[in-house]
Amino acid sequence: MALRFEELIERHHDEIFAYLWRLLGNDGRRDAATDVEDLTQDVFLRAFDSFVGLRPNSNHRAWLYKIATHCAYTQLRRIKHRRDKLSSLKHSTAELEISISRKDMEQRVRALVNELPAKQKACVTLRYLQDLDYPEIAQILSCSQESARANVYQAIRHLRLALEGER
Amino acid sequence: MTTQKSKNEVFVVKHLRSALGSPMETALSRSRERVNKWFAEEAPLIQWGEMSSPLGPLFAAVNERGLCALDFGRQESEFLQRFDNRTRLEKDPKAVQRVLVQLREYFAGDRSSFNLPVDISQLTPFQRSVLEVACRIAPGQVWTYHRVAEELGRPRSSRPVGGALARNPIPIVIPCHRVVASDGSLGGYSGGSGLKAKRWLLRLEGAL
Repeated sequence: MALRFEELIERHHDEIFAYLWRLLGNDGRRDAATDVEDLTQDVFLRAFDSFVGLRPNSNHRAWLYKIATHCAYTQLRRIKHRRDKLSSLKHSTAELEISISRKDMEQRVRALVNELPAKQKACVTLRYLQDLDYPEIAQILSCSQESARANVYQAIRHLRLALEGER
Repeated sequence: MTTQKSKNEVFVVKHLRSALGSPMETALSRSRERVNKWFAEEAPLIQWGEMSSPLGPLFAAVNERGLCALDFGRQESEFLQRFDNRTRLEKDPKAVQRVLVQLREYFAGDRSSFNLPVDISQLTPFQRSVLEVACRIAPGQVWTYHRVAEELGRPRSSRPVGGALARNPIPIVIPCHRVVASDGSLGGYSGGSGLKAKRWLLRLEGAL
């Protein structure tokens, strides 16, 4: 029997929420949690609208991740735009935040991940936090497996170099 | 080299998992509740139930407008497959009790017509008009496909009439079995076991 939408919510809500949380919920903004909740709702709303056209043998999980990634990219662009605007005002808060976060390794890792380009961030999150394999990641991000691997490699390399500098 | 590479990965991944491990449980459950609430409000509810009948297991489903699906002599999964997969399906015998009571009376020979709200809004206007004509055929009588077409003012549409009757989502209650071929044969029937079921229903009503 074809998958029903209520089963899709039941099976995948938590991992999609966790994925969006990892992409968007860790950058210290006060409204980050609300953003992730709004975005999760938006992902399922979009999925609902196009669910009928989906072939029964499709990879529903990858399809849902694809929608989530698309929504996250849009949001990440908005956040970056806001940040760029703020930093152009030359507030000293960014500098202050960095110096405070250096005291806390977890906060530092989050800050480093948030600095990654959107695709690297998505690739490394899908691979190591959502535990997806490369064929699935390639499908979700509409790219080749080689490209997905290269993005993960670059992200890991960047994070390693930055973290080693901290030791 | 590979060992060094994997060591580097392990080092970074360990920090990644610790820093970005899991979302806050409160936020996660709040989101789950919110998505489920939205779905409950957005998706149409279909409640269904089943009974045994002389024609095999019989399934009936209602939505907010009335009886929207009925079938018999098939598996439960086959019956449920017909619904849009975005609807909420709930097995609820109470919701279809009125339908099942009237059907039991019909199979026992104590009822010849039904008094139930039905919903055929998913069909095309032509399909709906064909089924509305079928509802005018009295129990114990049969009309030909040609006569139904004539009633619709489209005497050359016997074949499309047959097609519309074959898509009747509520057989028995909308008595498409009362329409037969002009040559005296039974024509077709898509409910349950096909022509065998059609013959059985017409015999029950005294038309054969």
